[in-house]
Amino acid sequence: MRDMTEESGQRATAEAIERGGGGLGVNDLLARVMQAATTADSGAAPAPPRDVEGVATAIAAAAGRYLPAGHLPPDADFFDAGGTSVHVVELVAELEGELGIEFDLDEVFADARPISLARRWLEATGAEASSQAAPPTVPAGTPAPTAQGTPPAPAAGTLPVSGAGAVAVAAPGTLPPSGTGAAGASASGTPVLSGAGDVPAPAPETSASGALPVSAAGALGTIAPRTPPALRPRVGSGDDRSARARREDLEQILADLSLADRLPFADVPEPLPPRRILLTGATGFLGSHMLLDLLRHSDAHVHCLVRAADEEAAVARLGAALKSYRLPWSSEVRRRVTVLPGDIRRPRLGLSDELWHTLAHELDGVVGVAAAVDFLRGYQSLRASNVLGALTLAELAATGRPKPLHHISSIAVFNEVGITSMGEDDPLAHVDRLVSGYDQSKWAAEVALRRARDHGLVVTALRPGGIGGHTRTGAYNPQDLSSGLISAFGRFRTVPAFRHLNAAPVDWVSRVAVAAICEPDAWGYDYNLTGVPNTLDDVVRDMALGGMHVRIQEWDEWRTDALARLKADPVTELAFLTRVLQSPTALKLCEATLKGPAATGARTAALVEALGLPPAARYDAQAQLTTFERLAQDGLARLPHKDDQPYLWFPETTEGSVGPVDAPADSPCSMALTLSIASMYQLVKERRVDVTGEVVCTAVHPEPLTVERGDVWVRPEEGIPQQHGLGHQLLRYRLRLRDADGGHWWLEGHKYARARRDLWRQTRALTVRIGREGEPASLAGEVVVPADSYVRDQIDGIEVDPRLTSQEKRAAKLTWLAWFGLEMGRGLLGPFARAAADLLDLRRTPTLTEHHR
Amino acid sequence: MIFRTTASRTSRPALPRVRTTAALRPLHHRLDPACVEEIPFRADDGVRLGLTRVHTGAADRPAVLLLHGHTASADMFLLPETRNLVDVLLDDGYEPWLLDWRGSCRLPYNETGQRYTYDDVALYDIPAAVRHVRERTGDRPLFVVAHCIGSLTLSLSMAAGLVPGLAGVVSQGVFLTPKLAGRTSLRMSLAGELLKTRIDHIPVDFRKVGLWSKHTPLFALASRKASCPDPTCQILHNSAWGTGASLFVHENLAEATHGRLADLLGPAPLWILPHLRRIELARSVVRWHDTDHRYRALPPNALDAAGRIDTPVLLLAGSENGLWLDSQRLCHDVLAHRQPQLDVSYAEIPGYGHLDTFLGRGAALDVFGHILDFLGGRR
Repeated sequence: MRDMTEESGQRATAEAIERGGGGLGVNDLLARVMQAATTADSGAAPAPPRDVEGVATAIAAAAGRYLPAGHLPPDADFFDAGGTSVHVVELVAELEGELGIEFDLDEVFADARPISLARRWLEATGAEASSQAAPPTVPAGTPAPTAQGTPPAPAAGTLPVSGAGAVAVAAPGTLPPSGTGAAGASASGTPVLSGAGDVPAPAPETSASGALPVSAAGALGTIAPRTPPALRPRVGSGDDRSARARREDLEQILADLSLADRLPFADVPEPLPPRRILLTGATGFLGSHMLLDLLRHSDAHVHCLVRAADEEAAVARLGAALKSYRLPWSSEVRRRVTVLPGDIRRPRLGLSDELWHTLAHELDGVVGVAAAVDFLRGYQSLRASNVLGALTLAELAATGRPKPLHHISSIAVFNEVGITSMGEDDPLAHVDRLVSGYDQSKWAAEVALRRARDHGLVVTALRPGGIGGHTRTGAYNPQDLSSGLISAFGRFRTVPAFRHLNAAPVDWVSRVAVAAICEPDAWGYDYNLTGVPNTLDDVVRDMALGGMHVRIQEWDEWRTDALARLKADPVTELAFLTRVLQSPTALKLCEATLKGPAATGARTAALVEALGLPPAARYDAQAQLTTFERLAQDGLARLPHKDDQPYLWFPETTEGSVGPVDAPADSPCSMALTLSIASMYQLVKERRVDVTGEVVCTAVHPEPLTVERGDVWVRPEEGIPQQHGLGHQLLRYRLRLRDADGGHWWLEGHKYARARRDLWRQTRALTVRIGREGEPASLAGEVVVPADSYVRDQIDGIEVDPRLTSQEKRAAKLTWLAWFGLEMGRGLLGPFARAAADLLDLRRTPTLTEHHR
Repeated sequence: MIFRTTASRTSRPALPRVRTTAALRPLHHRLDPACVEEIPFRADDGVRLGLTRVHTGAADRPAVLLLHGHTASADMFLLPETRNLVDVLLDDGYEPWLLDWRGSCRLPYNETGQRYTYDDVALYDIPAAVRHVRERTGDRPLFVVAHCIGSLTLSLSMAAGLVPGLAGVVSQGVFLTPKLAGRTSLRMSLAGELLKTRIDHIPVDFRKVGLWSKHTPLFALASRKASCPDPTCQILHNSAWGTGASLFVHENLAEATHGRLADLLGPAPLWILPHLRRIELARSVVRWHDTDHRYRALPPNALDAAGRIDTPVLLLAGSENGLWLDSQRLCHDVLAHRQPQLDVSYAEIPGYGHLDTFLGRGAALDVFGHILDFLGGRR
């Protein structure tokens, strides 16, 4: 059994073996890698090698430098080994510059194994012949151009999906199990494929057995997709490349689907709320929220599978993840959580046999949330996590004590351009029209698990759409497309014309998913956790309410525009959005998402109602507010700022007099200010108005003083009197002044509400104190807004951002007046209410003769 | 007439009390009875209160005094059906002490009208309890975790300097700056005035008043637009004793707790309203007795005297607090501005209301971690 504490480098290698290098021992492979590394180090080969193996080795050596492990086996996926999309960009540049190997970035995302990159490049450059020189090392996953029976190639436009299905699916079934011994032996020679005896591993084709690329799900069996070369990808069919799935991906999908047939038959689970649950993906955005909801809403103990070298690291990783999503991570949480270091991409989740069997017999629920969510990577790169991982969980659920499997699928299974409906029981998308690897992998996982249902397994498929930030904590998923889009909408003040946004806040999605997990009558069905979709109108109106008036553009126009702006003014936090907007496959995904119909969730709604959960509500401006604030804090979104064109402004003039503190105020003082707000958000949240203008006060300086920075707070601190009494604060002014000689002064002013009848004057009179910066007040006095200028300036004189339409301007003006008027009303009422209460207190409290006395 | 009842049927006259005094209802808990020590305890003005020590035998544990809210009782920290604060404190190495101050529903004062104001609590109850705990625990650190009015009166005691040298205070719901929704405030003032000549307390247990009584209209009003059919839940969750506020987020309570609400929260006396109203309209904790010199130890306005607070304070609040709204955030802002030297921090618990921060079935997960972190950093 594998020791879990092995260093990660070895693990990466092992994963590589399990993914492809079936015939190679660890030592062989290590030797190969070392060799590759040395060649790369010793010779900065200017002339690129001309055979697949050579190119792959060179690419692997270059790629290895970007990885935490320091090296990459030629048939391991760059992303699985820890590479990021930023690294890919750098890698491609490096390959081009140093080795002369040019790649389309998209190609690398689609399949980032050096070996297949090498093959593609050689195919593209016409060096195909040399690849035949090294057939044993060519994995069959992406079919090598080795000669097998060659039926005539079908017409390019009609993709023989059915044929591919028949062939690929038939392959494992028809293969005689006699070969199992040999394959099993060769497989068990590498320590990763533990316990291959459980389910007889189907014999791979002998010709391909030298280098089996697929079959990460060890115990489920190793199946090579046998593909007639007719289905080979056609180089240069570039036009419809982004409209249809790549053929090798389809073949791989079909091969992966057939893995479900290897599952054992499962018995009926006990219909009780779970007491012991295995949860994968607890470090993710949805998973971590679901972990807490599982703990809150059930009495279950939760085992969390976390990818890490050992338990300590796994616990630390889980804790850090929960904290980063503003979830509690206290001893009370740790009490009810067991962290298991492991990996869904590995056979038996990378757990020891003993642990696997213990879990299989003790658990009464398996919840699979873990998935690689990346809209750029291809199916080959995502399948180990998203498809094989799901199948391994199905195997765990079907083994030992019968237990349900709850699988977090995605609305992406419908993500086909032009699909007409997305109900819970509606047909899924046509897989050959799913272009992005993510959509394909989620589709494949759900379809494979549908097959698992035929084995008696109870599988619940929970399909969230976009998962928005938490309505209360504002925790969001920084890598999520919708976070990026929302940020871009607010930043550029434009939105693409979409039909529906099928997004729901994470708290609701998690709560409903957990409710389905804890309610036995809800098990075994499909649920759309998409909430109430936002229409374009809703979004535009919400943003306008927040003072962000957006303009609508066609999708293509918006994309070009947004890309241009992102390039002109790069935002590091939005770099991934730039990449998504440039990738043809990811664009297809965006297009399908934006043009798709509203997802419906009748069964989810029924569940929510039956369990008395909060009904789905539109993810509206109020619900998004905290998330938006957090996005702004983290630099993704941008809130309107003081230096921007103000949203609304008006002049205010005051006249009065000041004098030394504790002396009569006899020196004239007047202020000519402009009060402005950058957005209604600033007003409602900070209750603050920006001030500019100048102050004429001869007692301070003979020349007028400029306001360098000024703020007015409306009803600061809820108007709580500064000292015991009835003087409630209405407004607080704080100005920083600069005189003509460069000296700095501060001015602090207050308007007070008092229980007196001069209300009109209370709203206009400002008690001021002025002092030199850093010193106590030297002057005090009172300035008053002249009664005749008040209405003229502050109501008629309101100006609104000229970019708005006249209707929007009127709305802005009215909103300001209504808000400010209400605040003033509440402020003025305060002291009177207290005076009235004092009067009521004079009433005698009768002594009642109630019972029990 | 099926609704006609006679007074004798709804309640029997009580015997005049000539020998017995106020007695405490027994605590409801699942601890080992040997660990729970009930201390015969009187406030400084002689009023019988309840003080309970939960001990493990270890003599080096920091003590934590728990103060309940008005009309609740020490039971709110001992819920047997969920993981409660006392469990969590015991497991983390503390010695919990539970005070039943005179507003407790284990004591009869709310109902039988031995009147008091919050001044009495701040002046007589809390300082006496702190003194008693100090006598027993010596120089071990003493923390206080206080809820709602327990916390509000504690702030008055602290501002008066009556409980110096605490190691830390966790305040839930409201501290120095109480703020109610305008609607709640209006109902409290007006309805209180209208009702006070007819009844002297608002019951919460429908079973004790019956279908037809002078309290019926109150329950009927509380049931307006209520989602839960339980009248006790309605008058607490939907109406907060007729004020129209909400005391907890309904789905945060365990079923068993929901069924026990009438035991956990008792009737609210109407004669406390004038003091509460004065406090609320001033948006700061103010003294009621301005002319009674027995109370001169208390400051006229606790917020003005907040400089006397010598203890780190953690202000806790549920983000959905339907009674005190964002009073705690306000308090944090006001203190940061007016008394920047104080060590005051603020933690908001997303998705929680007022009472469910202690009664909720997930309180151990979501709330107590904040308390343990705060205490742990200062023990």
